[in-house]
Amino acid sequence: MAAFSESAIKTSGLGMIYNPGLFARRKIGLQGLNLAVPPGSIFGYLGQNGAGKTTTIKILVGLQFATSGQAWVFGRDVQDSRARRDLGFMPEDPYFYEYLTGAETLHFFGKLSGLDRATRRKRTQELLAQFGLEQAADVPLREYSKGMRQRLGLSQAIMHKPPLVILDEPMTGLDPLGRRDVRNVILSLRDAGQTVFFSSHILSDVEDICDRVCVINKGSAVAEGPIHSLLTGKVLEVSLAASGIPPQGVPELQGMARRSWHDGALYHVLVDSEEKAQSAKAALEKAGGTLRLIQPHKESLEEYFVRVTGE
Amino acid sequence: MIVPVIALNTFREAVRDRILYVLLVFGVLMIMVSRAIGWVSFGGENKIMTDLGLSAIWMFSGMVSIFIGTGLIHKEIDKRTIYSILAKPAERWQFLAGKYLGLALTLLIALLLLAAIFLAYLWFCGAPVTLALGQALLLNFVEMLVVTAVAILFSSASTPIMSAIFTTIVFFAGQLTKWVVDLGAIYKQTHPWMEKLLHLVYLFLPNLHNFNIRRETVLATQSRLHMAIPVDELMAATIYGLSYALALLLVAHLLFKRRNL
Repeated sequence: MAAFSESAIKTSGLGMIYNPGLFARRKIGLQGLNLAVPPGSIFGYLGQNGAGKTTTIKILVGLQFATSGQAWVFGRDVQDSRARRDLGFMPEDPYFYEYLTGAETLHFFGKLSGLDRATRRKRTQELLAQFGLEQAADVPLREYSKGMRQRLGLSQAIMHKPPLVILDEPMTGLDPLGRRDVRNVILSLRDAGQTVFFSSHILSDVEDICDRVCVINKGSAVAEGPIHSLLTGKVLEVSLAASGIPPQGVPELQGMARRSWHDGALYHVLVDSEEKAQSAKAALEKAGGTLRLIQPHKESLEEYFVRVTGE
Repeated sequence: MIVPVIALNTFREAVRDRILYVLLVFGVLMIMVSRAIGWVSFGGENKIMTDLGLSAIWMFSGMVSIFIGTGLIHKEIDKRTIYSILAKPAERWQFLAGKYLGLALTLLIALLLLAAIFLAYLWFCGAPVTLALGQALLLNFVEMLVVTAVAILFSSASTPIMSAIFTTIVFFAGQLTKWVVDLGAIYKQTHPWMEKLLHLVYLFLPNLHNFNIRRETVLATQSRLHMAIPVDELMAATIYGLSYALALLLVAHLLFKRRNL
């Protein structure tokens, strides 16, 4: 295993140009991508469809070849197959041999990872239990649901306890319970000292569990860093709600509130700064109302994502 | 370690695939029917049985090589099962070699099974059984190693349908290489370029005719001889077949090793 002081993943000027043939246009998959994923972190890789997330992941795991630049896993060039000893990978919508059972699949990938028979047997039992697949251990995969395949995909990725786990859209298509299970697995991997690099469209999950994120747009990284440093903490708007306000509202708030409305019981006001919120609070109390709620809204990862990708 | 793991898994895939059993039943039926055709041939029953039985085994193994071999790589890419495998510390040549050897093992087991049924049937019907039959079956296997390598080559660069078409063309054209040269000789005076073109075709096509000793085997068994062809010819054909298959696999590797998946 490579030295852990190295970045788990590092890329330098990584580029990918797809050249489909004589008459089709060339397509840029990646351009000048620089990444550094610290070991022991959960790293979220965000981008729209076609932004270059899967291309990056495929280059890291040896399925595609960059047309420029270089990438390393724990200091080893990704074109060297030994780099893949240190990583586990789950592709998007994982597909495995339908004629194999769940247990056979894990044994197969365990063998490919170089595990001996005793370790394979032990890990297979552990993982089937951990992912709730014990009952389906001897069932052929053609009878597995999407959620079960996803859990089996995660199991095979971590079968050999790799120091780096790369997951391509691990939450896609899962129900809320399935997503919660995947989140818990990712957190437990980090707690065990492993690095997790995953792409996702589900920004709330990324915000909940990631230490760092990188946002990629049109093949280039447009933002990268710890989540708390990317999200400014700036208050974007404040909601207020008061009872005891007559249905016609408070005339003083006209021009100050971004929006105001009465729902029968409460009078709601939305303003775009904390200063305005204080003024609105005073106006509501002056009008004889009792303040029931005052809630600031800070920038979410989703709003940040929309801002930096310019969409 | 990677190559045997992939080979054994490919073998497992084939034995869990219904198409293998359909082809096996077809092969067994052909062997059984050979007796009936022998009856209506007025004499030479044993000769017809031996000839048709060997041809049935050849046809069966050809179909297994083409139908299973041509989907072997493309199916893995199409269904994306290859992603999780190549993300392990497996080299692409190991994957190709494993798939090839897995199908070769399947062919070997299926051929041994069919051969056992065929030889038992010959013995049961009182037809002569000699070592010459073993020679024919061995060269049949070597021929299929070449055809499987052709199938893998096309499968690593094309769709299963296109691969099946190309492999079938090579399978039948490879039986006719001797006539390609004869045809070239006809054009030597009138269209010399045609002769050169046909010579090139001859050089590149596998000479599958080399492995067809069914006629010699039938004659040898009827005379209760143990050798259909001399051992050195058998060795030469085997070495030619293995070398040709290896060369095809190397080309397949060159096409596959930098392919973006």
